[in-house]
Amino acid sequence: MEMVLEADRLGKRYGRTWALRDCSLHLPAGRIAALVGPNGAGKSTLLHLAVGLLKPDEGAVRVFGRSPYGDTDGLADIGFVAQDTPLYRDFTAAELVVAGGKLNRRWDAALARTRLAQLGIPPDKPVGKLSGGQRAQVALALALAKQPRLLLLDEPVASLDPLARREFLQSLMGSVADSGTTVLLSSHLLADLERVCDYLIVLNAAQVQLTGSVDDLVAGHRQLVGPRHDGGPIGGVAHVVRASHTDRQSTLLVRTDGPVTDPAWTIRDVSLEDVVLAYLADGVAQTSHSEWGVAA
Amino acid sequence: MIWLTWRQHRKLAFYTLLGFLVLAAVLVPIGLSMRHTFADLGLAQCLRPSTLSETAAQTCEVGLRRFSDRYDSLNLVAVLLITLPVLVGLFWGAPLVAREVEQGTHRFVWTQGVGRTRWALVKFGLVGGAVVLLAVGYGLGMSWWVEPLTKAAHEGRLGVIVFDLQGIVPIGYTLFAVALGIFAGTVFKRMLPAMGITLAGYIGVRAAVEILARPHYQPAKTQTFPIEGGGIPEGDRGNWVLAVGIRDADGTMVAENTRIQCPPGGKGPDGRACGADLGLGPGAYNWEMYQPADRFWLFQSIETGIFVALAVLLLYLAVRRVRRIA
Repeated sequence: MEMVLEADRLGKRYGRTWALRDCSLHLPAGRIAALVGPNGAGKSTLLHLAVGLLKPDEGAVRVFGRSPYGDTDGLADIGFVAQDTPLYRDFTAAELVVAGGKLNRRWDAALARTRLAQLGIPPDKPVGKLSGGQRAQVALALALAKQPRLLLLDEPVASLDPLARREFLQSLMGSVADSGTTVLLSSHLLADLERVCDYLIVLNAAQVQLTGSVDDLVAGHRQLVGPRHDGGPIGGVAHVVRASHTDRQSTLLVRTDGPVTDPAWTIRDVSLEDVVLAYLADGVAQTSHSEWGVAA
Repeated sequence: MIWLTWRQHRKLAFYTLLGFLVLAAVLVPIGLSMRHTFADLGLAQCLRPSTLSETAAQTCEVGLRRFSDRYDSLNLVAVLLITLPVLVGLFWGAPLVAREVEQGTHRFVWTQGVGRTRWALVKFGLVGGAVVLLAVGYGLGMSWWVEPLTKAAHEGRLGVIVFDLQGIVPIGYTLFAVALGIFAGTVFKRMLPAMGITLAGYIGVRAAVEILARPHYQPAKTQTFPIEGGGIPEGDRGNWVLAVGIRDADGTMVAENTRIQCPPGGKGPDGRACGADLGLGPGAYNWEMYQPADRFWLFQSIETGIFVALAVLLLYLAVRRVRRIA
């Protein structure tokens, strides 16, 4: 399988704080991947490393097999929409399309214009005066006009209202469906991306918590409810992600490596959200304990 | 890139040009009137005092005084005009990178097909070139404008304010101010702090060079003349006097920052020899350390060279820093 994005023990530090550490992941070609994690988890850092804005302090990141930092030629294959979709606010959308043409060797201006026309975006109004949703659409059109093989979107819908969110994601899906572009989009809310993504990377506290295709992740996790559990091994369970206990009963979210046959446990299927929340809660607890200097 | 640079800065360019024209509209009439007055008062001949007869010298004295009375306040205007290069640094240099980072657009423009090194080189180059053109215009205009003021003043073109205003040094200053602004922008990444640091840094470096370095670009010359008789020797007009004093016959400095002159055979107030009431013995003489007026272009070149070199260094550092901003 062709890997579009590979990170190997990737780390980036700001001062003494690691924004990302020991991050290893693979993103196969053709996926729509969600990069999920709470604010400050290192999502933007990972995307900036992938687009070559940042230089790794540790490990390596490769996009199409090339190290992106300082690699101008490699930039042609990557479309990037930064957080808050920054654009020159005094430029009109039409001018931004022209600017993109001047800044890129491969540039499909007709594609950008067609998209923007379909979306009803006025060509001669400064983009600073457009709504947040329209501005995001302009930024997306500019990224798509590069005809990238990898499209990176940093919190593209965070500042949009629910309707604009749906429209944005729909138009994104519509445009990458045929081209086979690999997409990696980040959000602090899984709910935003759940419907569109088929691959998931969960980042928390500078570390990768979970990565894999959505189908595998859902199939590979189960919720077990049964008598109070003392932490011993359970047949078919690779490890317990999260456990909560009452006096007599335990509820476990587990990663399975085979069928759970023990009749003491009631087995339930889980949603993707259950899985993600379980991994995120885990990470949060770890960091806050270590930050406060107390044992977990 | 060129299109983008033009599109981004055309408004600022327009306003800069407009400001320039307004300034010219104000200063050109003043300059013309100064030149007329200078000619009307017949001051051109006064610049070579040795060729003048006694009466002509007196006419000159009166004429120069009248000229000064009328136009001395313009020296204040000259001081204000000195600030123009740093203004260019503040408004052209400081926002160049800082504004992109402040608004996040650097993440847009640096992830397009041109790398950010090329972005920086083209942008710095174009803005630098535009600024040099501006500075050349400013330098030429100012040279023309201050000429009568300088001629009328004792100190000449090497004097501290007029030197900074004319010739080629404005090119060095302006380039330096812009480079400092750009570099400050890459360090502080916000416009206001970058502008503040540019202002402070510019004043600091300019003052340091002016006070510490400029008097020593070439070994200063000294000249002496008696306290009694002929007075300031020929050719003194236009020299940049660094220090004066009165020395004793054996060369020890008796009184700093002063000079005295008595008419030939003149006596002091109480009938003693000239200067005796100040404790000066016989053989005391006026001493003066100066940079000769004909070193003007040499000093201009050295000073311009220093600031251009600083500007190049700052731009190099700025390009390096741009590669580290995410």
